[in-house]
Amino acid sequence: MVRGTLRAAGWAVVFLAALLAPKALNTYWLHVTAIAWYYALMAASWALLAGYAGQFSFAHMAFAAIGGYTSGLLAVDLHLPPVLGMLCGVLAAAIVGGVIGWLCLRLRGPYLSLFTLAFAQILQLILIAEYQFTRGSLGLSVPPLFHGDSDLPYYYAGFALLLFSLGIMQLVLRSRVGIFLRATREDEDAAEASGIDTSLYKIAVFTLTSAMAGLAGGFYGHFVGILTPNIVTIPEMGLVVAMAVVGGVESLPGAVVGAVFIWVLSEVLRDYGQMRFVILGLVIMLTQRFAQNGLVLLATRLIAKRLQPQRVEESGAPAA
Amino acid sequence: MAEYVFLQAANGLVTGLIFALAAAGLTIIFSVLKIVNFGHGVLYMMGGYAGYYAIHLLGVPPMAAVLAAMAATFLLGVLFERLMLTPLYTNKVDRKDEYAIIVTFGLFMLLENLGIVVFGPFNKRPPSFVEGGLHVGLLTITYDRLVAAAFAALLLAALALFMQRSSLGQALDAVSQSRDAAAIIGINPHRMYAIAFGLGSALAGGAGALIAPIFSLSPTMGDLPSVQAFVIVVLGGMGSVPGSIVGGILLGVVEGLGVGLYPDPNRALAYSNAFGALLLILTLLIRPTGLFGRPHLRME
Amino acid sequence: MKVMKRSEALVAGAGLLAGAALPSLPASAAEPILLGWVGPLSPPGGYAAGQEMKWAAQLATNEVNARGGVLGRQLQVFYEDTKGTPDQGTAAMERLATRHVSAVFGEFHSSVALAETKVAHKYGIPFLGTDVWADQITAQGLPEVFRVCPANSLIYTMVGNWAAAAGFKNVAIMQEATDYGVGAVQVLTGIFKKHGINANVVTVEMNQQDFTPEILRLMNQPQRPDIFMIIVAGNSLYDIVRQACNSNFAPTAQTAIYSGGGPALEKELWENDGKCAVDLIAEDVALPKTQWNAKAKAFVAAFEKQFKRPPTGTAMESYDCVGVLTAAIADAKSTNGKAIIAAMERLKYTGARGTYAFSSSHAPTWAYHQYMDAPIMLVQYSKENQTPDDAPILFPRKWATLKELYIKRPS
Repeated sequence: MVRGTLRAAGWAVVFLAALLAPKALNTYWLHVTAIAWYYALMAASWALLAGYAGQFSFAHMAFAAIGGYTSGLLAVDLHLPPVLGMLCGVLAAAIVGGVIGWLCLRLRGPYLSLFTLAFAQILQLILIAEYQFTRGSLGLSVPPLFHGDSDLPYYYAGFALLLFSLGIMQLVLRSRVGIFLRATREDEDAAEASGIDTSLYKIAVFTLTSAMAGLAGGFYGHFVGILTPNIVTIPEMGLVVAMAVVGGVESLPGAVVGAVFIWVLSEVLRDYGQMRFVILGLVIMLTQRFAQNGLVLLATRLIAKRLQPQRVEESGAPAA
Repeated sequence: MAEYVFLQAANGLVTGLIFALAAAGLTIIFSVLKIVNFGHGVLYMMGGYAGYYAIHLLGVPPMAAVLAAMAATFLLGVLFERLMLTPLYTNKVDRKDEYAIIVTFGLFMLLENLGIVVFGPFNKRPPSFVEGGLHVGLLTITYDRLVAAAFAALLLAALALFMQRSSLGQALDAVSQSRDAAAIIGINPHRMYAIAFGLGSALAGGAGALIAPIFSLSPTMGDLPSVQAFVIVVLGGMGSVPGSIVGGILLGVVEGLGVGLYPDPNRALAYSNAFGALLLILTLLIRPTGLFGRPHLRME
Repeated sequence: MKVMKRSEALVAGAGLLAGAALPSLPASAAEPILLGWVGPLSPPGGYAAGQEMKWAAQLATNEVNARGGVLGRQLQVFYEDTKGTPDQGTAAMERLATRHVSAVFGEFHSSVALAETKVAHKYGIPFLGTDVWADQITAQGLPEVFRVCPANSLIYTMVGNWAAAAGFKNVAIMQEATDYGVGAVQVLTGIFKKHGINANVVTVEMNQQDFTPEILRLMNQPQRPDIFMIIVAGNSLYDIVRQACNSNFAPTAQTAIYSGGGPALEKELWENDGKCAVDLIAEDVALPKTQWNAKAKAFVAAFEKQFKRPPTGTAMESYDCVGVLTAAIADAKSTNGKAIIAAMERLKYTGARGTYAFSSSHAPTWAYHQYMDAPIMLVQYSKENQTPDDAPILFPRKWATLKELYIKRPS
């Protein structure tokens, strides 16, 4: 009981901090945290797909690319306003996501991962090779979402999109769908046997999370201003997976924390020059090795232990 | 035209055999430890550099350097397994698949960037195994490629024999089928995991050392071959060494032919890896267990 | 507490007076002048070139500081790894902006530079492009942006005209799908069309290693190309050259071989390609040895001594960037962005690569703030382990050391 309110209080603090942070951040850190919201949305939606629904997909960045490039190309070639473009991007990503989810129905575990990986590779190569259309590695210049030089509107827009998506995902999880997803993940055959239409829910979750990735991609494109096929690389996907798992893949807010933590860390490590990604790789390995269920859970446990030492003595058990 | 098609296929076959070696390593790791090794590409890279330095610092001749590279990556693999993968079977880890993917991905990030610092950013290349090439009509293949392919074929044959005939190989196979059953008959599964990861790494390292005179050495050289290895493993069937051999050859031929025959010549080469990816997708849709694979067993 | 002896008090008092009488020290303990460098130091960027550029910049900065710095202040450069990715570029620029750098220089990837220059413009920070060739970088007309290296149009017009003059009729081109590759080939194919030269363009992706299938296809065309041009700036250049050679495609009597990228100028070319690189025609963004001034010679010697490898033209560009910025700051007598820009516009600075002046013309569009006299020459390696500085020069003709326009292999 106390744990529950403690957790709620903790998240409230985090939420307030995020809301007020821009007051304390200089332009560089504002820019960095605004980009972090992109990764946070990617990590959270991936956590839903992989952590809750058990679909360990490696195509997530591809859906961000679909969202980003759809929106970007519509803006550049047809002069569509960014908001409309982003909606189209979400739609495109959702449709392709549904198709991929359908194709993956019979695949489990690493087979699903490799299938989605192959799809992402093909998409990346198409983006590079068809450069006359996508501008490939030259970079597609995407018009900005907001006018003016400040990153502040992007910070709040990204944060708002993240909260909105988290809200939808939490609703889904609290509903029957969430229970069915968990049942499917634990034991798919048993779930089928008890009458759950696992196929429908698997496709649904793929569609939803791909739509969110598409949203994140659209935001990213209209914020950073240049899209390249580099957003779909395997290291990028691995980074998002690491963010979700380090934060805690069975907790959507945990994935958000993981994303912000790792992204901010990668910027902090800039001072270490070439050792930057060596250290990041080491941090990722060690965090998994010693805090397997994620840092958020670890932090919650540590804080809870700190705040409730009397319990042990009251129950008569020997003090720890 | 027929000669040209044969040419593309022959070229693909030769490189495919070498990638099959790396894939065999991946498949062993998968079948024994039940994990997807995202660090396979950097182990391949480390093998390449190990061979290079064995030649330049220790004066080892090129062919022997391949064996030295395999020994070095074997040790590296065992070290990594002992340090980072033991939680997989000490039951501390709830979600084994994800744990393995993250930890091996971390290894990839660490070693690739460390490679740039330690080996330097400029491409290197060890001396050829044999200079020159074979020219028969239209067919031109360097001796390096032929030697490397032959060496790879020998190693793969030796590996297949090892897995089927030797007691260690059979022990590995037993653990891959059932850890508990293997433990009951007296095999130490923990030791087998370390050996399997070491062996898998050694095969990747050997492939890297064989490829080194053919394609240049760079810290990022393992990025693409690791995806190729995944394709081959799926094609051939996870856990099957003969499957890796056939899969490797098939992939090489398909990619070579794909580039040669793709209607838009401007794009064909840029898409060469897409043919492999497409092959993987088709295999998973039509016959997920691959040509020779067993159905996927979860880690117990 | 012990009471001070009178003698001690006198000594102390004398010391205080003496201290007060000393003239106040000059502000060299003053704040350093801050500069920013951007470039690729890790994948997926071209980290080899980035590393060379960083080394040259470090060498230049140390030299400037050893001479007393600029305006009595030491130079301090922040090096940011942009990984060949535009969003890393913008993040790096934002970081440099919060550190209040007076100017930024560097970069190797045009697409990243395009993102970076936008941020430079936002903050009014002068940006000096070191080795980014896409026309658009200066053509976009931002007042903050200058460039020391050639633009694609500048070089490839020359290359196209050389190829036409050398008599090539059937060209096979492998282009890298980047700003550099695509931009360069656009210019080339334009020139070839004018001269009625047939051009067959193939796109390659940067991570590939096996180009043999494509090389075989090019070789087996009904009309075999008479020159194979490799417009690739990445390290896969070495693989392409070796595979073309091993397939008996180029360099051969029927087909010459040409490379546009930096790796062809590094000493690793010989380790990677050996005798396959003999007769390779390469572009060098440097002056011929005969034209080297004292600065160039001193730089080359210092670089070789410190980094154990000869510097390429790219390294020289980076070295000169520091020189240009130092001269501009000294002339402006200020670290204010606008003042530096004004100083750059009227600058005439002699570096290792010649005398720098930035054009203010907008015709053609890429001429704006471009170093129009950026040296570029075509060399052809005549024997193994040759450095680009010793190789015979084919073009421009005013520097050529060879009578013919290129060395053709005997049949």
